[in-house]
Amino acid sequence: MRSSRALAVAALAVATATAAAACSSGSGSSSPSTSTGGSSSSGSSTANVTLTWWNNGTNQPLLGVYQNAIKSFEAANPGITIQNVPIQNETLQKTKIPLALQGNNPPNIYQQWGGGVLAQQVSSGKVANITSDVSSWIGNVAGAQGWAVNGQQYGVPVDLHVVGFWYRKDIFQKVGITVPTTIAQLESDDSKLRAAGYAPIAVGSKDGWPDAFWWESFALRDCSQSTVTSDIAAKNFTDPCFTKATNDLDAFLNTNPFQAGFLGTSSQTGAGSSAGMVASGKAAMELQGDWDPSVMQGVASKADAAKLSSELGWFPFPQTPGSAGSQTAVLGGGDGFSCTGTTAQVTACAKFLQYLDSPAIQDQLVGVGQTGEPVLASQSHAITLPATQTASAYLKTAAYEQLYFDTALPTKPGLNLDAAIANYFAKPSTSTASAILSSPSAP
Amino acid sequence: MAAIAQTGTAGPRGQSTRRRSTSRWTIMPATYLVAIVALGLTIVPLLLVVVNGFRTNADINGNAAGLPNPWVLGNYTAILKSAAFWQLIGNSALVSVVATALVLVLGTMAALALSQYEFKGREFFYNVFVAGLLFPITAAAVPVYLELQRLGLLDNQFGVAIPEAAFGLPLTMIILRPFLRAIPGELREAALVDGASRFRFFVQILLPLAKPALVTVGLLAFVTTWNQYFLPLLVLQTQSHYTLPLGTYMFQTTYSQNVAGIFAYSAMAMLPALGAFVFAERYIVAGAAGAVKG
Amino acid sequence: MSQRTATEAGLGPAAADDSAAAGPLRAHRRRSPKLIKRTELTILLAPGLILFVGFVFVPIIIAAYYSFFSWGGYGPLGPSVGFKNYSFAFHDLYFIHAIEHTLILTAASVVIQGPLSIAIALLLNRKFFGRTFLRMVIFAPYVLPPAVTGIMWNLMLQPNGFVDQVMKSLGLGGLVQEWLANASLTLWVNFVVLTWQYIGFGIVLLLAGLQGVPRELKEAASIDGAGPWEVTRRITLPLLAPTIRIWGFITVIGSLQIFDIVWILTGGGPGESSETIAVYLYTKGVQATDYGYASAIAVVLFAFCFVFALLYQRFALRRDMQGALTREVG
Repeated sequence: MRSSRALAVAALAVATATAAAACSSGSGSSSPSTSTGGSSSSGSSTANVTLTWWNNGTNQPLLGVYQNAIKSFEAANPGITIQNVPIQNETLQKTKIPLALQGNNPPNIYQQWGGGVLAQQVSSGKVANITSDVSSWIGNVAGAQGWAVNGQQYGVPVDLHVVGFWYRKDIFQKVGITVPTTIAQLESDDSKLRAAGYAPIAVGSKDGWPDAFWWESFALRDCSQSTVTSDIAAKNFTDPCFTKATNDLDAFLNTNPFQAGFLGTSSQTGAGSSAGMVASGKAAMELQGDWDPSVMQGVASKADAAKLSSELGWFPFPQTPGSAGSQTAVLGGGDGFSCTGTTAQVTACAKFLQYLDSPAIQDQLVGVGQTGEPVLASQSHAITLPATQTASAYLKTAAYEQLYFDTALPTKPGLNLDAAIANYFAKPSTSTASAILSSPSAP
Repeated sequence: MAAIAQTGTAGPRGQSTRRRSTSRWTIMPATYLVAIVALGLTIVPLLLVVVNGFRTNADINGNAAGLPNPWVLGNYTAILKSAAFWQLIGNSALVSVVATALVLVLGTMAALALSQYEFKGREFFYNVFVAGLLFPITAAAVPVYLELQRLGLLDNQFGVAIPEAAFGLPLTMIILRPFLRAIPGELREAALVDGASRFRFFVQILLPLAKPALVTVGLLAFVTTWNQYFLPLLVLQTQSHYTLPLGTYMFQTTYSQNVAGIFAYSAMAMLPALGAFVFAERYIVAGAAGAVKG
Repeated sequence: MSQRTATEAGLGPAAADDSAAAGPLRAHRRRSPKLIKRTELTILLAPGLILFVGFVFVPIIIAAYYSFFSWGGYGPLGPSVGFKNYSFAFHDLYFIHAIEHTLILTAASVVIQGPLSIAIALLLNRKFFGRTFLRMVIFAPYVLPPAVTGIMWNLMLQPNGFVDQVMKSLGLGGLVQEWLANASLTLWVNFVVLTWQYIGFGIVLLLAGLQGVPRELKEAASIDGAGPWEVTRRITLPLLAPTIRIWGFITVIGSLQIFDIVWILTGGGPGESSETIAVYLYTKGVQATDYGYASAIAVVLFAFCFVFALLYQRFALRRDMQGALTREVG
């Protein structure tokens, strides 16, 4: 390691020096030795701090909530400036954040979803330990333990989510079907919907993780909680209940429940996404997290968006009677943020996170349908959307909530799992199906 | 061969004219047909991008292949007014200029060394450069990224420009060295007899003569660097440092509903490349041909 | 000139001139011309060489080194795992499929684009109205950023997008597919877009090569009774062969490392149906932050290019072009 570094540095010192001499202009920052967070300069005193904030709020209404949050926070805290950098979700999660944590200048406030992935990010040494900064208020925040590593707080959740079916009440009424409680009922509802010309279920397969929701939901129905937890920890789904889950999924896929071209449909981007399809009434339902209403608002036409609050309903993943797992467990997770940078920046970051977890902002996040589970339990009264109220109420009765597998697992095993499931959706076969079970432990 | 060429000018004219005119009847229409098809397949997508930039999203969603109805300037003006867009152009320009300068200066120096001097190992060094053609930048991007990380050059336009220059050297050597070697040695002898130092000979006589090749090399380096996407994707983190292809991609993923805006953005992103190309087409094509002839 | 080089072994003709021109002004120089020469040579050659070695060869060495470790990119280098990264790569179905896809794209580029480019170049190699303009236009896609090409075609290939509309209006509506979602089609859709981007370059290159075929030769042959096809086959094509070989080399090396267009058009998907080696390198290495593994894949990709180039040079390029890729002949 040292020798290769010396070799590289020696060769390059000369090259770089020559290059620097040969270069005429140079207005780019050429020595990012201190992480100053963003392009504007910042002093080292606590008085003037600039933070860059990477989040996935690229569209309204979430974009508006974040922008307003910055405005009010900056007004109340002169000297702290926050630069909002919304980035598309998949690019943010899979590309920008991993690469940024490699470099010297990672964003000061960045979004992550907790679990094993956060644990792995912590090993980069760049993520700040904010246990002391948040100790005074973290007790009120539900789900905070998902953002702790070895008992130390490395991030803070800002909203929590539960996964379930978001469906169009008007379409169900038109076709004459009721909310299914078992998979068999769901399948019969699907065939009626298809006969009536609707895509029964929309799925944003292009993004990968929506496929994972399906497999993982079947896994929750077929496997006991302890099996799920232990096999995730082992990074290998060896228990035969997972094979049963895969077979159940296979049988379900054979009923052709999805929209045409589902493999190329994204989940959240554009009117042609799975969310857009439900919003415009082309599809009757979608298995998604409770951010979906807010996403639908962003991709729907004005007319459709107005209808949504009254026509959207929610039901949990149907049951599979006779299987070993819990019939009421739900899949879920949350959005959170972590801090990087100088001490001054981390302190400012923690302050901002506290603000995001305050009733004012939590009300807004709930109000726009971004979440069904505010981190402040006291704010769940703010939920206005009936569908989300159903989801939130159901969560209180669920046996347990399981963090999405790809977040519970460290980065690579999680990505492997998502890729294996996506590959299975693209080309269903016995080999792609069995590949799912061992995918997390692929080196 | 030479004998045949000479007899070719003689020979019965009547026979050859008749033969040539029959083939012309079949070949010329075929040529025009192919030309028109090629022209269409190339131009239509480009025109589409430009024209769709003048439509609204509702218009495009309604009919993907129609003409603008109404014509709107909003997409293009929004881009022209956006500081972020000009920042992208500025960054791409900086990276490309730096890389091109490096390639021209260092490549010319090396080509001079390998063409104007004779020494043991000269061919070895030349082949070292040429072997670089086998190491494409995409395959090297990850280790280059790791190297830049160790050097602290990440998120830095120079971190993109310097590797680009390095990878542009093989093609540069392939074009420049044979060119410089082809310049007659008598020229050099004459200059030196007149009392010029070698340095003055290089700068005042040799390089001006090599101008066509230098222009070609510079243009190729500029265009290749400008169009890079993978290396900037890995190296550049802060939005304000992005180059144009990367920025266009980021715009597309962030504002994916705004289809008209994406078309307009893509059209604008194509302009610098097409502009440079129209301006310098002769040289770029000659450069490609020069690489062929070796 | 050769006389002088014989007498001034190792110093080159200029040195002889130097000492020949050395009059009274230079007689008192104490440094030998040889040393001046060496210094000048070093100053001229070293910077470029160092830059090149530093950023082209050193990364390969780095990649080879890291490929023996398991490392997440953060913090100190992880544990050494010997050849495990490589053995896993060659047992990993995803990687093998990525190699297959890449080889298919490469083979298709040569086998389909090749004859097509040659045919078009042959047809266009005559004077006709608008010829220069046409040459400029078909070359133009080559200078576009591939990333922008990908974005452009992505939009055009959407369901009910431009391509679908055009096909419907041509009466080909029945052939419309989900271009970006059909797992069996996506690789070929990528190929079509790649062809759009790069075929112009090939055609222009071949046209340039055709300039080197003497017209008199062809005329003589046709006067001697050869039909146009025979002239092409017996004279034009053999003389075009060196250009075709160069085109082949450039195309294969380029195809082996395709990333930009595939990544933006289909992201390697759906699933892994259009993944190339470079895309695989990116998803499994960079996104999964497994840099040891990514380095191993990079080394494998290098090895592909290197082996191909060696074989190509040995068998195809041996007789061609002095200097560029082979040893000087004669």
